[in-house]
Amino acid sequence: MSLAISTTDLEKSYGSVRALDGISLAVEQGEFFGLLGPNGAGKTTFINILVGLVRKSDGEASVFGHDVESEYRAARDRIGLAPQEFNVDRFFPIREVLTHKAGYHGITGEEAKARADRALRTVGIYDKRNTRFDWLSGGMKRRFMLARALVSDPDLLILDEPTAGVDVELRHDLWEIITELNDDGTTILLTTHYIEEAERLCDTVAIMDQGEKLTVASPESLMARGNDTIRLRLESPPTRPPKIDDERIQEMTIEGESLVVTAPTGGEVAPALVRSLDRQGHTVVDMDISRTSLEEVFVSLTGTDEAETAPETEPAAPEGML
Amino acid sequence: MSVVSAGWRTLVHREILRFVRRPRNTFLPPAITNALYLIVFGVILGGRIDVGGDVTYIHFILPGLVVLGAVSDAFQNASFSIFHGRWNEYIHEVQTAPLSYTEMVIAYVVASALRGTLIAVLITGVGVLFTNLIPSMTPVEFAHPVYVVAFVFVITLLFAGFGVIGGLWARDFDHLTVMNQFIIRPLVFFGAVFYPLSTLSQFWQSVSLLNPMVYMVEGVRFAFLDISDISPVVSLAVLAGATVVVVAIDVWLFKRGFGLTD
Repeated sequence: MSLAISTTDLEKSYGSVRALDGISLAVEQGEFFGLLGPNGAGKTTFINILVGLVRKSDGEASVFGHDVESEYRAARDRIGLAPQEFNVDRFFPIREVLTHKAGYHGITGEEAKARADRALRTVGIYDKRNTRFDWLSGGMKRRFMLARALVSDPDLLILDEPTAGVDVELRHDLWEIITELNDDGTTILLTTHYIEEAERLCDTVAIMDQGEKLTVASPESLMARGNDTIRLRLESPPTRPPKIDDERIQEMTIEGESLVVTAPTGGEVAPALVRSLDRQGHTVVDMDISRTSLEEVFVSLTGTDEAETAPETEPAAPEGML
Repeated sequence: MSVVSAGWRTLVHREILRFVRRPRNTFLPPAITNALYLIVFGVILGGRIDVGGDVTYIHFILPGLVVLGAVSDAFQNASFSIFHGRWNEYIHEVQTAPLSYTEMVIAYVVASALRGTLIAVLITGVGVLFTNLIPSMTPVEFAHPVYVVAFVFVITLLFAGFGVIGGLWARDFDHLTVMNQFIIRPLVFFGAVFYPLSTLSQFWQSVSLLNPMVYMVEGVRFAFLDISDISPVVSLAVLAGATVVVVAIDVWLFKRGFGLTD
């Protein structure tokens, strides 16, 4: 079985700027794959090469075994794209935009209309079907971008920052829809710089920075690479951290009444730590272990804190005519 | 089974709907403009202008006006549709679809040529109306109807092909205006629309033959009136050859991603 996405040494240069610097990635069919990186990492460039909006400078890229340049029609027929920017036909009501998009994929007539209606119902804006895109609210526009990607019933759904700037309710709605699609077998490539989104949804995450792939792993194994924080509240906190002979411990500090210990796999270190403290006469009255977050791993890999946690609110006012 | 793909038919359909649903922007202006041309040049001034033979001035300029309207609208439709799609990036819907580059180009060209053809029919209709309403005038007739169809077919395809290049080349809306005002319009006005070539000196007649518009106007005039300073067969052959070359360039530009991809 061919890979849903396969790239080898993929490069893209704009003059002296290297937007992609030899990216090799393999996305299995049915996988939920996340591309994580700060702005300018090359995520959108990578996607645009797959769909034909950017021409690669070098390397290979294929979708379901079809080269994206020499077999571009077969590759594009399998892809549904929801880009970050709103690039929707302004001349027609949104239902008609969807029937046109279905038509480009060879689906016409009543079948195209049925597909359009189903996609609009899936994202919850069917009652706006006769409205033009410009008159939708910001959240509805984001929903429509997903509907357009779904109307051709793609095997590979590419979502470029699908929840950028949306409110909590919509974000969760979108997560639910794409999770169901993935459960039904659709391969999903998601780019995001919302760490929570990647952590919650993705089977595998590739972290990119400045056009390079830094690592590829599951969110769990990435988090396992970082240190957990064990916070122990002591009955009589000492002024200085006690000496504990355990090489797994990275750091110990006193914060108020608590001893704060950082160590990998905190759950394994904690029992021995409590026993050592007890032997030294310190009584532990409370303990909390917080696992390292993907965000911390991301920051340590990219050296940037540009990745964000998802915002809680977004203005819902219509953006009006362009 | 259809010889053309469903995707191609959809794009042609979309392009046709775009101009058909906006008749106030697409059909009304040329109808009014050409009615004004015919009133001023044909009726008011026409009686004082002698173009030779038994042909009245309104009959003489009508073929030129048909060409002017047809090629302008074919060009404008293709260039605007592609440029507006690029400007708002919704041309990505087409670019990311499983259509071949040839299908994309032919769809834009055919739909734009259709608009040019409809404008040609509209202007001819205005001319027929005028010459039938004014008792002293002979109603418009077609000396060679097959040539009318052939010339309108070829010239609208040719200028739709030029329009594709214009739509890909333009960087902002001013560029579209520049192309229309400073390239298309001078070619038309020096293209024997309003005067016979034979009124020019031999030197300027030779210079005029470098203007492709001359072949179009003379060809359509032959089809309407059976008079021409250039052989219609030669005109048709030159224009058909140019159309093939221009559409081939369009396809090459789409393949290269000129104006479309980074």
